[in-house]
Amino acid sequence: MNRSHILFALIGLVLLATAPFYLHNSYYIHMIGTIMIYAILLFGLDIVVGYTGQVSLGHAGLFGVGSYTAGVLFFKLAAPVWVILIASVGITAVFGALLALPALRVTGPYLAMVTLAFGTIVQILINEMTFLTEGPLGIKVPKPSIFGMKFTEDGFYWLVLALMALSALVVDRILRSQLGRAFEALRGSPVASDCMGVSVYRYKVYAFVVSAGFAGLAGCLYAYSEQYISPNTYNFELTVLFLLAVIMGGRKSRLGSLLGAAIIVILPKLLDDLSLFRSVATTLAVLMAVGAVVAISKKIATPRNMAIPVLGTAALAGFSYWLTAITDWRLSIFGLMILFVVYYLQDGIVGFFRNLLFRKARSADADAAFDTQLDALHQAAAGRNAGEVLVAKGVLMQFGGLKALNMVDLHIQRGSIHGLIGPNGSGKSTMMNVLTGIYVPTAGTIAFDGDSVVGRTSSDIALSGIARTFQNVQLFGEMTALQNVQVGLHHTFESHFVDVALNSARYQRENDASVQRGLGLLHFVGLGEFAGEEARNLPYGKQRLLEIARALALDPQLLLLDEPAAGLTAPDIKELIAIIRKIRDHGITVILIEHHMDVVMTICDEVTVLDFGQKIAEGKPAAVQADEKVIEAYLGAPAA
Amino acid sequence: MEILLQLVYSGIALGMIYAVIAFGYQLTFQTSDTLNFGQGDALMLGAMVGLTLVNAGVNYWLMLPIVIVFGLVQGSVVERIGVAPAIKIKSEFGWIMSTIALGIIAKNVAENIWGRDDLKFPSPLPEAPMHLLGANVLPMEILVVIGAVAMMLAVEFFNRKTIYGKAVVATFNDRDAAKLMGINTSLVITFSYALSSATAGFAGALIAPLTLTGATMGAVLGLKAFAVAIIGGLTSGLGIIVGGVILGIAETTTGFYLSTGYKDVPGLVLLLMVLALKPAGLFGKTAIKKV
Amino acid sequence: MLSIQNLEAGYGKVQVLHGISLTVPKGKVVTLIGSNGAGKTTTMRAICGMVKPDSGEISLNGKRIDGLESYTIAKLGLAHSPEGRRVFATMSVTDNLILGAFPRLTGSRPKGDVAGDLERAMELFPRLKERRNQLAGTLSGGEQQMLAMARAVMLNPDIVLLDEPSMGLAPILVEEVFRIISDLKSRGVTMLLVEQFAAAALKVADYGYVMENGRISVHGEAAKLRDDPAVKAAYLGGGH
Repeated sequence: MNRSHILFALIGLVLLATAPFYLHNSYYIHMIGTIMIYAILLFGLDIVVGYTGQVSLGHAGLFGVGSYTAGVLFFKLAAPVWVILIASVGITAVFGALLALPALRVTGPYLAMVTLAFGTIVQILINEMTFLTEGPLGIKVPKPSIFGMKFTEDGFYWLVLALMALSALVVDRILRSQLGRAFEALRGSPVASDCMGVSVYRYKVYAFVVSAGFAGLAGCLYAYSEQYISPNTYNFELTVLFLLAVIMGGRKSRLGSLLGAAIIVILPKLLDDLSLFRSVATTLAVLMAVGAVVAISKKIATPRNMAIPVLGTAALAGFSYWLTAITDWRLSIFGLMILFVVYYLQDGIVGFFRNLLFRKARSADADAAFDTQLDALHQAAAGRNAGEVLVAKGVLMQFGGLKALNMVDLHIQRGSIHGLIGPNGSGKSTMMNVLTGIYVPTAGTIAFDGDSVVGRTSSDIALSGIARTFQNVQLFGEMTALQNVQVGLHHTFESHFVDVALNSARYQRENDASVQRGLGLLHFVGLGEFAGEEARNLPYGKQRLLEIARALALDPQLLLLDEPAAGLTAPDIKELIAIIRKIRDHGITVILIEHHMDVVMTICDEVTVLDFGQKIAEGKPAAVQADEKVIEAYLGAPAA
Repeated sequence: MEILLQLVYSGIALGMIYAVIAFGYQLTFQTSDTLNFGQGDALMLGAMVGLTLVNAGVNYWLMLPIVIVFGLVQGSVVERIGVAPAIKIKSEFGWIMSTIALGIIAKNVAENIWGRDDLKFPSPLPEAPMHLLGANVLPMEILVVIGAVAMMLAVEFFNRKTIYGKAVVATFNDRDAAKLMGINTSLVITFSYALSSATAGFAGALIAPLTLTGATMGAVLGLKAFAVAIIGGLTSGLGIIVGGVILGIAETTTGFYLSTGYKDVPGLVLLLMVLALKPAGLFGKTAIKKV
Repeated sequence: MLSIQNLEAGYGKVQVLHGISLTVPKGKVVTLIGSNGAGKTTTMRAICGMVKPDSGEISLNGKRIDGLESYTIAKLGLAHSPEGRRVFATMSVTDNLILGAFPRLTGSRPKGDVAGDLERAMELFPRLKERRNQLAGTLSGGEQQMLAMARAVMLNPDIVLLDEPSMGLAPILVEEVFRIISDLKSRGVTMLLVEQFAAAALKVADYGYVMENGRISVHGEAAKLRDDPAVKAAYLGGGH
């Protein structure tokens, strides 16, 4: 966080803390308290929705678990407040892990359905298990007492404020750390995550568990705040409201979560007051019309795409005059807001202003000074086998009736650059995917440095020393170049959740080291000046080099490059050849799939040729180039 | 024993409804890789519109085709507003949230028009139970099974025998190749949503006389039907019938032997288990990742 | 019949075609050859509308078709047998062929005698006749290639685009495919043929264009290109 951010946050905190003094109405204090409680849940929800990019429809259920843990512990066991707080967080976190289990292997709509089922089951259980939860009767939960003294309304407000600020701080630290980068990697490219040693399964569970912990804390505080809980609060509508809050406020932002919370708390109150709603709706329609005229005259927008927002807000204003009671249409208003945000305000309100006002926010890390003398590329580990680093025997990869790889043998000498070539569909990329655990071979053995690779997960294989790049670039688009490389450096971090939350010395050391090495690796491939640039904004050729830098961050013994020269211009290709040579000079073995024959002939020590999934030739580049069978495979049989 | 058989009959009827809703999910998923999170609400709208028509004096049998037409229109609207823009910007989050939003709006509108209470839907068939193999079965339950099967067969016939139906199947198979044949695939997608809502609405009008009809009837149905669609593997028609019947029977028996409050639980737990263990479904094929 | 001027196209950030120009005269077979990654398939995709060109012009019978949707271009008389065959796997051979005539059956193109054309297609491709009710997904690679070509011809098109028909096929099937292409040529079908296998393509074509790195490096009468060393260099690197 930079200076101005910290200043704003402090001002905000002071304003909030002194609120009981200038707002003498306990109704408003309670309302602000509710906003902060929701914000705590949203900080956690943002991890799942904003960072890992999944839709969770189950957070109202987790919220309910938090509330009912508090309620039940109070009602049945008269537990003290500090036990209840810790238990709420802990038990809800466990539920988060339970939720993550069925969600592990699915994404997108399937995951959304899983979370929805989970939320529904929780609500049913709370309603039916009356022996524990009193069912529809609900539980009364008075304000907690500490050291015999009961919290006043204001006192409880300050407790919530303190916990909200603490939560914001902890979440912020987590998301700036290697954990946050891992979460974002899951969204950017799950395949690349696994292949960089960040196990998608494991981090998905972490994301849900952490998110659930915060939901539990919020639920517990909510129970105390409302002083009464009942099952029908924790329903589908609430979960949708939470989602609306995150996306409307702005994802990947603490301020966005606060703003979103304020919107969903204040809006229903606004909708209860019809005359107020009418004024707001009319003002909005007028503002939208004016804004549209300005935008069209400045050529930022066309009449066509301004038509819907203008007509929509005008219709809403008109509708508000026709209605006698807006409360009943509350949910439709929320539905319309969701539609609006999804298509017109994708980055939320905070994101909208950020894009508008801040041209390029450079992250501090990218500008850090670093030691140019230090060699970022570590010498490859010697490994156990000095001769052959990889031995594949009889590899068969069958998809239904198709034999993509048919009894292929491969012997890769340590420290060599080995080319893998062949016409379209010959099995080269399939081989790469088999070597990195994306496919499990139907038959055959593959030994890397003496250990079998078959059946191991991609992230396990990556961590044991095989790194790769992809034919279709798989970068983590929304992260900067430096952050992409830092994901590759994930394996250098021993710090865990607690280290990060407390900003321990160990974490700071490891983080600084990752910045240094990351910058070094970027300079190695010639991308030093792009360190703070978002990966998706880089030109194509640079993106491919970034993938190489990221792969090198794994400190691999073996580097697999999948068509690194594709789409590169001639001078870029010369640079690429120099980089690959330097990589080899550090003792790293390279397997290179390539179609650019010049590249293959120039740098490869040995070349293997595949056709129809079978090896048809192998040897020194010049020999392979002159081989009749190879020429035939590429050009077809000579005129018969 | 007699009670069990009765529960089985009710379960089969319920299961066929799940199958019809699941069928709708399959339709849109196969043509566009998207589905309607408001599918349950489409069923509810069909039931409510049907109720209004029947209460206004329209004959039940005449009401059914009107509800189908209503469903076609409603589905097209959902697709044009919620799904087509999301497909264009390639945002999965987009269509998930918009179909959820449209579903919420549908439910809210229904609440305001028809009220929040559950209503009785007059049954077109006599309410006296018949005897089949020694147990009671309501004539309406038999109608539900016949109606559901007839609907699915009609769509199958359309797919196999008409040129437009074949165009839809071609879009399932390979969207790009279908375009090369001169098939306007975005129209096909709109049509698949229209058909999907129409079948859901039809199912709603069928099941309404058997259960309570109200604005909230759709939500959990939609979720459980998704479980059935998953079991069927999102590509197999037979799979959803089998899955639907299994779920239906599981629910009626749980509701009777345990408690009605818990009756929704088996379906939801089934959904979680299938997605945890075999996400491609029992009948489906796992897609091969291409990197 | 088909004319391309200065076509530039690519995928997102990657520009693959850097200004391609070629013409396919009516009744002739023109082939586009080159090694992998040269841009041949991208060219085909740009012509049939699967990829929108960044700049340049594509005209069919004098009418501009660049930027149009694939289904509109198909209705204008351009049939495409795509790379990888892409037959409709769960439908029968007959249904696949009928779908090839979709614009004729739905009023977008003159109907003609669809049933008759279907029978004629079966005569031209006897393997398909034997398997008329079999599901297309269960056919072998070679049979699927026949089906894709027959399906394209069912449109009664002005021009047929054939994208790597020999890919993944055993040599004996490749011979059969090229025999059929020869036969179609003798019936006066205008074709643009993209191939990795230069030898067979140049034997059946009238005119050839060689692509390298998104540009046309050499072009001329097919007979002359057959012996041109530049062709071999385009595939296996220079100095050969």
